[in-house]
Amino acid sequence: MSEDDEPAKPDGGTASQSDPVEDERSEEHPLEWDEPENNDKAPDERDSVSHRAEKYDDRKLVTGQAKYTADYEERYPDLAYAAVVRSEIPHGRVTDIDTSTAEAMDGVEAVLTPESDAVPDAKYTSAGQSYPEPSPWDMHVLNEHVRYIGDPVAAVAAEDRATANAAVEAIEVSYEEDDYVTDPEAAFDSDAPQLFEDDEVENEIVGHDYNRNRMAHIEGELGDVDAALDGDAHVHETEWETIRQSHANVEKHTALAYTNEDDRHVLITSTQVPNHTRRQLAHLFDIPIRDIRVTKPRVGGGFGGKQAMVVEPIPLALSLATDRPVLYEASRQEEFYAMRSRHPMKVRTRTAVTDDGDIEAIDIYALSNTGAYGSHGMTVAGNVGSKPLPLYSKVPNVHFEADIVHTNTPQTGAMRGYGAPQGTLALEGHLDEVARDLGLDPIEFRRRHHMEVGDLDEIAGMMGGEGANRRIRSCGLSECIERGKEAIGYDDLEQPDADHLHRGIGMALSAQGTGVAGDELGAAQIMMNEDGSFHLQVGGVDIGTGADTAFLQIAAEVLGCDEDDIIVKSSDTDVTPFDYGAYASSTTYISGMAVKKAAEDAKERILDWGSKLLDEPVENLETGDGTVYSENSGDSVTLEEIGYEAAYGDDEREHILGKGTHCTEESPPPFAAQFVDVTVDEETGEFEVHKLVVAVDCGVAINPGMAEGQIEGANHMSYEMAVSEGITLDDEGRAEVSDFDEYGLPSATETPPIESILVETHEPTGPFGAKSVAEVPTNTVPPALSNAVRDAVGVRIREMPITAEKIRAKLDERGG
Amino acid sequence: MPNTGGISVDIELTINGERTTVEAGSADDLATVLRQHGYIGVKCGCDGGTCGASKVFVDGEVRMACGMAPREADGSEIRTVAALGTQDDLHPVQQAFVDNFAVQCGFCIPGMIIQAVALLDSNPDPSEREVREALSDNVCRCTGYQKPVEAVLDAAGRMRGEQSVAADGGQPASGPPQPGESAGCCGGGCDE
Repeated sequence: MSEDDEPAKPDGGTASQSDPVEDERSEEHPLEWDEPENNDKAPDERDSVSHRAEKYDDRKLVTGQAKYTADYEERYPDLAYAAVVRSEIPHGRVTDIDTSTAEAMDGVEAVLTPESDAVPDAKYTSAGQSYPEPSPWDMHVLNEHVRYIGDPVAAVAAEDRATANAAVEAIEVSYEEDDYVTDPEAAFDSDAPQLFEDDEVENEIVGHDYNRNRMAHIEGELGDVDAALDGDAHVHETEWETIRQSHANVEKHTALAYTNEDDRHVLITSTQVPNHTRRQLAHLFDIPIRDIRVTKPRVGGGFGGKQAMVVEPIPLALSLATDRPVLYEASRQEEFYAMRSRHPMKVRTRTAVTDDGDIEAIDIYALSNTGAYGSHGMTVAGNVGSKPLPLYSKVPNVHFEADIVHTNTPQTGAMRGYGAPQGTLALEGHLDEVARDLGLDPIEFRRRHHMEVGDLDEIAGMMGGEGANRRIRSCGLSECIERGKEAIGYDDLEQPDADHLHRGIGMALSAQGTGVAGDELGAAQIMMNEDGSFHLQVGGVDIGTGADTAFLQIAAEVLGCDEDDIIVKSSDTDVTPFDYGAYASSTTYISGMAVKKAAEDAKERILDWGSKLLDEPVENLETGDGTVYSENSGDSVTLEEIGYEAAYGDDEREHILGKGTHCTEESPPPFAAQFVDVTVDEETGEFEVHKLVVAVDCGVAINPGMAEGQIEGANHMSYEMAVSEGITLDDEGRAEVSDFDEYGLPSATETPPIESILVETHEPTGPFGAKSVAEVPTNTVPPALSNAVRDAVGVRIREMPITAEKIRAKLDERGG
Repeated sequence: MPNTGGISVDIELTINGERTTVEAGSADDLATVLRQHGYIGVKCGCDGGTCGASKVFVDGEVRMACGMAPREADGSEIRTVAALGTQDDLHPVQQAFVDNFAVQCGFCIPGMIIQAVALLDSNPDPSEREVREALSDNVCRCTGYQKPVEAVLDAAGRMRGEQSVAADGGQPASGPPQPGESAGCCGGGCDE
């Protein structure tokens, strides 16, 4: 938080010549951006970018030929299968592990306990983040001190899955049980059972206080919120609660480990973060980074659940112990209780708003339940404030604070939206309520205050760490609202004939980021073959998002060739350049810019060869249609001719290579305007959502078809947060959900039609004007549906999920 | 390797037109057996029978292979997603999924395509509601079902010989289906 800066101006802090503070800010965060001319192309100048290019891997996927981690099974005839013994108590110490029966079983190759030589002693965090991670090192691969029902205690490798599972059943674990706590508010009490002693954690996080089960405390302020709340303006206060959501990635966490003929430790794994996983494995197993190879095949969905080294140490330890390849595939039940989930939170919002509807102050406090361990705990909580609050960057007084506490419940982690869904509910639900209380139209109220181009956002950076002050150079919020309103039919909504049915529309806005400001790195390399085709090697991680295709389109746009002429190889730490991984909405922006730079580097060499062959100066030359052509003479030479000449020419020879690496302080927000159309039965509280409309400004969509798919999938996940229970727990913190039929993922019939609208803006800092898309529509349905129900029948549901029972109860309360 | 648990049995199957004898352990389900014989388009996303990723045709009926004992399938004809079309010559349902951007991570897609083919075999002109009902036990986490539903409706149009609608602005595919590519439980490749 900037301590000595003046508060942001109500006018949005645009530069003013008379204000030295503003001058300094403008210098540091200029509106103008030194954008290369070729980065800003009108739609009709684009050859590949913003075209609906076929997704690179689709033909393999629809014919069932594509390989995910478990599909490598057949390559390893001596493969062993892993299974894990997990704690059955919420809190306690392991006093004995009787492995004798399991070890005597036919086909059991190894049984590992916390004391086994092959099991690392080192502490670590599973969070796949930059180094050192902004998450505490509070975990062990196998645990003597267990902190939730699901904590790993022992691991088995066996000839087949059934034997591995039988061996797990045969292992007897004795415990000394400790008191436990599952409620985050109770856990924050100084008398509560304590999950960690100070010496059980390394790399502690700011504000930790393990006596109160607090792993972190964060706070930031602009202006003076208390003064504004104590002033003349109306003060509103609301409280909100969100669910424990499962990633429900259909491909389970899966990893295969072996040591190859060159003594290299290889992990084929379903991950979003190959390079972070490699570094973390090196730390845990005390193996040099260079001796570990992490490679990602097709991934069956991540959504943040694989932005973590969740399972990889288990098969690696078992492989080292047995000298065999080992596959560990979590069960679906383990997915629900022992992998990761979205942090459930309670969030309080307070505002001070004048009679005229000017927002003087916003204050948000979040209590986040991080579960038994702290991975992603602080950073997710930070985003509760730093993602949604900048939507209202003109507000002069802003305060955000969060406590992140441990409970004896399953582990949480990164999940699509990363704190923004919780914060967006608390902010957008709250502002809707404020507008209605003041007799203002909720949409017009938002229009008066929302962010615009030219704004200097100091909110994202006020807590330091994940965010940074930034100038807004692209913002399509106004058009998002306009087009969303039109698509939902806001101005001509028809009420149902029946008196007890009421139809309403709710709206919510959202902003995300594009990469972690100042804490990202992507890199790529392009090699030209003699036939004029290319190999693109990129560290960026396609987890089913279509990132590989976006990379090809960016490269093809620069090189002037078809996407088909480029082969992409991504995410193999032995082969592809370094990358932080697929998270924080960074892949297209960061890794994509690295690809663009690599392609431009290669293009420079290609034009040089074209110049030689055409006998024309480079300045006259351009690439396109698989050729280098002269804008002067009209002469051209094909990339194939250049490729052969460069490789086999008589005089000079060169392997045409391009490399690109990208990092930036920028993290431009994408924006969304969500609309929900609902009919509520005021007699029963039952409701039907007719349609979800979400208009998104993601800059230039590199592939509009894929971008729409990201928006619709994110909106489905968001809808689930609004209407489903998530992973419910019993009194001991045991997950009550064990398979898909018990988990409330809305099915095809339970999901309303989703209309995605792309609102194009141009973000000068992104490749060809792109910014992120995949997270921002995850944030908006809970507030928009809460607002729609309020619009329809006048009652407000603040605790997710929104159910008929809760609406009915509120209606009864009001009626009585 | 087979989950033997001590006992294994030989099962006769015709898989994608090829007659074969497979060894199945007593703890194996049909999905495991098919996967062990290289039919990796049969996916396993749950602990048995709740996600739909392992759907195959067993004697023309859609079944979740993970919920079926191999012995139950003895003597039957199995068709997996791999039998519907090849990468160069996709089944119209597969082509429609590609053209409509209905595929993201792809893990649930084989099961969804099998189910869609079965639907269009029995109901060549389904409503959107009927498509959603048909896909209601296929779990997809990526798409929100929007583009898969559009893809199935688009495929239905193609298979009826109508011009592709490429429902959501996708690239229109070539006109009416070619001979041999017409509707059928497996795209014309099976005996039914």
